[in-house]
Amino acid sequence: MSMQPHSRKRVCYYYDSDIGNYYYGQGHPMKPHRIRMTHNLLLNYGLYRKMEIYRPHKATADEMTKFHSDEYIRFLRSIRPDNMSEYNKQMQRFNVGEDCPVFDGLYEFCQLSAGGSVAAAVKLNKQASEICINWGGGLHHAKKSEASGFCYVNDIVLGILELLKYHQRVLYIDIDVHHGDGVEEAFYTTDRVMTVSFHKYGEYFPGTGDLRDIGAGKGKYYAVNIPLRDGMDDESYESIFVPIISKVMETFQPSAVVLQCGADSLTGDRLGCFNLTVRGHGKCVEFVKKYNLPFLMVGGGGYTIRNVSRCWTYETSVALGSEIANELPYNDYFEYFGPDFKLHISPSNMANQNTPEYLEKIKTRLFENLRMLPHAPGVQVQAIPEDGAVIEDSEAEEKVNPDDRLPQRDLDKRMQHENEYSDSEDEGEGARRDNRSYKGSRDRKRPRLEKGQEAIDTDIKKEEDIKSEPKENEKDEKTNSTNEEAKKDGGANP
Amino acid sequence: MPMPAEYHEGHGNHENANFALGSTQDASNMTANMYRVGDYVYFETSTSSPYQIRRIEELNKTANGNVEAKVMCFFRRRDLPSTLVMLADKHQLASAEQQRSESPASTQNQKLENPDTTKEMTSKDGIGPKVMIKGGGKGGWLKAPLSEAQEPHGMEDSVPGGVTELNTKQRHQMKHRELFLSRQVETMPATHIRGKCCVTLLNETESLLSYLNKEDSFFYCLVFDPAQRTLLADKGEIRVGSRYQAIDIPAVLTAAEKEADSRKLQDLETLVWTPRHNLTDRQIDQFLVISRSVGTFARALDCSSSIKQPSLHMSAAAASRDITLFHAMDTLHLHGYDLSNALASLVPSTGPVLCRDEMEEWSASEANLFEEALDKYGKDFADIRTDFLPWKTLKNVIEYYYMWKTTDRYVQQKRVKAVEAESKLKQVYIPNYNKTPASTTAPSTATIVPLGNSNSNSNGKPTNILNGNSNGSMVADNSGILMVGVSGKPCEGCQGLQSPQWYAWGPSHMQYRLCQPCWTYWKKYGGLKVPSRIDDVDLERKRTGAGSDEESKGISGAHRPHRCNVPTCGKEFKLKAHLSRHYASTHGVDLRGAAGSGGGGSGSPRPVMKTRSAFYLRTSLLARAARRLCPAQLRTRHAARAPHQPVNTMSLRHFCVQLASKSPAELRILARAVRPRPRPRVTDIASRLGDLNPEPQLPGDWDWLMLTTPAQRKQPDRVSFPRPPKAPDGSLLYERVPNKPEVDRLTLTPPQPQPVMSTQQNILKRTRPFDEINGSDGIALNATLPPGGPPAKRIHHAQQLHPKHTLEHPAPAVLPLAPPLNGRATHPHTLPHGVPLSRSNARKQVISWMDAPDDVYFRATEQIKRVRRTLASVELRRAARKPWRRLSIPLHPPHLQRTVRGEDMVVILD
Repeated sequence: MSMQPHSRKRVCYYYDSDIGNYYYGQGHPMKPHRIRMTHNLLLNYGLYRKMEIYRPHKATADEMTKFHSDEYIRFLRSIRPDNMSEYNKQMQRFNVGEDCPVFDGLYEFCQLSAGGSVAAAVKLNKQASEICINWGGGLHHAKKSEASGFCYVNDIVLGILELLKYHQRVLYIDIDVHHGDGVEEAFYTTDRVMTVSFHKYGEYFPGTGDLRDIGAGKGKYYAVNIPLRDGMDDESYESIFVPIISKVMETFQPSAVVLQCGADSLTGDRLGCFNLTVRGHGKCVEFVKKYNLPFLMVGGGGYTIRNVSRCWTYETSVALGSEIANELPYNDYFEYFGPDFKLHISPSNMANQNTPEYLEKIKTRLFENLRMLPHAPGVQVQAIPEDGAVIEDSEAEEKVNPDDRLPQRDLDKRMQHENEYSDSEDEGEGARRDNRSYKGSRDRKRPRLEKGQEAIDTDIKKEEDIKSEPKENEKDEKTNSTNEEAKKDGGANP
Repeated sequence: MPMPAEYHEGHGNHENANFALGSTQDASNMTANMYRVGDYVYFETSTSSPYQIRRIEELNKTANGNVEAKVMCFFRRRDLPSTLVMLADKHQLASAEQQRSESPASTQNQKLENPDTTKEMTSKDGIGPKVMIKGGGKGGWLKAPLSEAQEPHGMEDSVPGGVTELNTKQRHQMKHRELFLSRQVETMPATHIRGKCCVTLLNETESLLSYLNKEDSFFYCLVFDPAQRTLLADKGEIRVGSRYQAIDIPAVLTAAEKEADSRKLQDLETLVWTPRHNLTDRQIDQFLVISRSVGTFARALDCSSSIKQPSLHMSAAAASRDITLFHAMDTLHLHGYDLSNALASLVPSTGPVLCRDEMEEWSASEANLFEEALDKYGKDFADIRTDFLPWKTLKNVIEYYYMWKTTDRYVQQKRVKAVEAESKLKQVYIPNYNKTPASTTAPSTATIVPLGNSNSNSNGKPTNILNGNSNGSMVADNSGILMVGVSGKPCEGCQGLQSPQWYAWGPSHMQYRLCQPCWTYWKKYGGLKVPSRIDDVDLERKRTGAGSDEESKGISGAHRPHRCNVPTCGKEFKLKAHLSRHYASTHGVDLRGAAGSGGGGSGSPRPVMKTRSAFYLRTSLLARAARRLCPAQLRTRHAARAPHQPVNTMSLRHFCVQLASKSPAELRILARAVRPRPRPRVTDIASRLGDLNPEPQLPGDWDWLMLTTPAQRKQPDRVSFPRPPKAPDGSLLYERVPNKPEVDRLTLTPPQPQPVMSTQQNILKRTRPFDEINGSDGIALNATLPPGGPPAKRIHHAQQLHPKHTLEHPAPAVLPLAPPLNGRATHPHTLPHGVPLSRSNARKQVISWMDAPDDVYFRATEQIKRVRRTLASVELRRAARKPWRRLSIPLHPPHLQRTVRGEDMVVILD
């Protein structure tokens, strides 16, 4: 699929050249080196020069405690391999030691990863960029006071908290093969963040992410879990990703999106068990990008590092909207990509245990849940149509679009007041808090199901046609990008 | 191979030949029979129990070429302790119940309590087996149809064909589809795989019927811990509370607040590159080339570099590494994307800029140190740094490591590793398993003679006469798959009377049988299609602990004691060896024989435990009586020679029915053999011979035959082998002699094809691992055994293993040697009679199960039979009793010998 030059976005990319030198320990599958490999590929593919490259600051303890508990961050800051023995009790308490080992520079690593995501979020808030990428982030398992699954500090939560300052509703999408439990838990009881996670479920880390985990209290129905089985291939993934995300976009109407691009859902991952190719994985990015919302892309899992760097390189190119050749350019780590030295990978012939019927049923059930959402707070009826109009009108009139983001922002600002409304709405504030039983009135809305599906189909069709709107603040950059376009070394190999 | 097909099939090891991935099977078959890591498979551990369901975690090639699968265990309902099954059911009902009570109208209070009730459930059961099921009704499918009418609102209702639509039969079958995941891992031979299945975590959106309608598909929702005997829901939870959620979710800032936002981007990030500049792509590329050339030149000027990179090419390559490029980009950015400024900065007054990464920075000796350290410490870079490269930083070391991985040195190492890793397979090809249990091959003319079912020996255990061929096809299994020649009974599963094959099933005394489809169903799903009394029987069997060994092992080999199968006994033993001793001493059952025959004969090439024991047939009173009473029908001698031929049971039974009416005392009389002829002692004979001898030519010629009186005996100067001390009970106390294999392995020598006369050496050689021996060894050994007497018994057995290898590698070196004949291997220069094999009854030494040699028997060829015919029966019998003795028979005509050579003996493993 060819992208229009207009779909060129201002992309900011966060990277610290030190990140590749953190080492979790012998035999540990998590290798920050993959981020450096990605970076070198980006340079040699010529993508580096097409985006703004930032070195993130090191997030301060203050920033981290916006989500994490003070104690936990204090612990992370003080623990080192050489003083571990003094912290036995705390290590147990904070689940540091086994999966999440203490390694040299642990705290710095967390600072860089969190710093990138926070800076990226602020960047988006300031509208200084449309897409921000932090491959060093995406550590979605970290809990408020607990490390988990190779993650210590949840940069995603910190980033989203930052985004929430400017955005009424933030959508979080997680395409890591593991459930994004840390982020889901952090926002389990709020209706301002919807977490959507596609993951392998069933005797698999971290064990959460059941279809029936849908949020609690005010956040009920704001956690969406898509439990999948082994062997998801590109086709099945798209068949569930596209309709669900379309529906979510339609009903939740976020004003910013965070996408966790965990690459362990790729085929042949050391820990994963899906069968996605780089292309299939990248399609998710492509699809989300089309919504033209402030978009934060973060890394995540990914344990076959050559494929991780392939994937993230490709996804960076997708974000930039510039095609790159399948032939990998020479780089310092070229030998890692043997024997074929190609960008794209082929799926294996593993069996896909997700039957179309299974996916269909999951989808149906999730649609039912999404129906339960107060239709993007009724009070905002004025605000929302324009968002929708972006999509619908874009075919007819591209000119209309440039303005639509700003009004949307303004409206979001206004929403803040109406916010109180939506909170005290039918959900009934106090009573529902901490309420985890969600079986009650599940199927009230069932009859509407078929209609809903049709709606999605048409939405998707329209999506394909979106051109995207040049923004005012983008104009100076636009000239540049067209220049670049002209001189771009043509290595187009889709 | 002259090996009959049926034997080949029973021969587990031979299937390995098909492991080659590129076999010539057609593609569809290939994929069906190709088993990968991660596949869910059926495993057959015993013919008499259903398949076990496992997931392949690893496939490893063992040293002897077999493939072993490390598997994760799934348990069936029937495998769970009955207490747990009940608990599982109870809680499933409870959760269903709970669900039902939650109508939309129900109060919020109740809903609020919900999470707590779930937790309570677990804590309440804390004492006994624990079941934790989330209140979500997962697994609530068991609820009875009486709940059908209620709840038009439950989750399941949205599911077409949900639980409520299951009828009794379906609910029954559903139980067969439910598995319990465990974290238990075990290792099994891959040859026991019997097909693929599919196990998925039950999702409540799914219709249970979808499992029933799909062959080989199972679901699970609970995790069974065999060690602690608990059931848990395989589910984590998202915790709710201020300790878990992000508090202080910021409200959207007002415009004023936004103005005042303290967040300054410049604090958060440093720009290192922007695409907003006036340079063209071409200009950037040019600049990159220039900075590389500057780098090349800098290397030429730099002394250390010019040593490392003696050629221009190498310098250029080093200057093209990414660090130079990154530096060039940074330079451009620093100089505001002004080419001339940037260029100037590349060549400051101090000389051209030289950027070197770790790869280049490190000297050859440092690189060597690193490799050495890596060898020693593995990838523990902190240790490597402190102990080997303290002048480097940890980051240096790590960066270097990742670059070092791109070098040839690493590739070489990797290759070595790859060779090592070859034992880890990704997939394995296992051909379809076609062998049917023996009891089905001749269902009507079962070779088991039901002699005196009414008659019982001391234990009340039915006595079966096997025609000595438990090796080939027979079953003497207590666990129930005993096909007694019952006919006319309908299938226990479907009541059908038509089936191409029938399978004995259930406890033997019940004499149930299953038709083909029901048997397959039972093997796969562990139950019958409809609920029946047998299920109870099954359960009962388990409860009384009379379940087959495999079953108890299946649950948790380590935790379940081995229990005696004899109904009235039921003693428990920690070790299987103890159990077998118990069997032998108390019940007179040779368990090894039973296990061996059960495994070898009835379909499974191996029982759970890899027994390679020989067996022997213990003739009971009745059997002996039968032999004596109806020799005409039994044709004992013929039967012994042709153990693979079924015995005509009808006539035998006819006779035996008469026998059955006789009392044990009468039987004993009937069975009493001719009194053994009193044999004189050897000394007497010797003296007599000395006396008898007529006129000695010289005086004293025959003196040696006369017994010297003890007084006259010469006492040795030194007693080399003093008698061991006596224990108080009069027995001799022997010191333990080290195990043969341990001793033998020390003297391994390469196989020598030519017959060597140094017997001792040869004997030692034979303990080489099975694989390494190419049959020639064995033959040579056999041929050169001293004619005098038997070597240690074990050696004997092991020798007999070799012919298998002569089959596999018909090495020309073997040709000059005559093949074994009638259990004897010969040397061309000796007579074609050598050392026959002895059976395990000759073995006194207790050998571990694993070490025990395989079962073996010789198939007499025409040739051998002919030779036998030339022998007098006395001679033949004597030869059989003293197999090591050399037989004196006239030399055969040469043509006979040649044909004999072409034949091979048949060996049956297991």
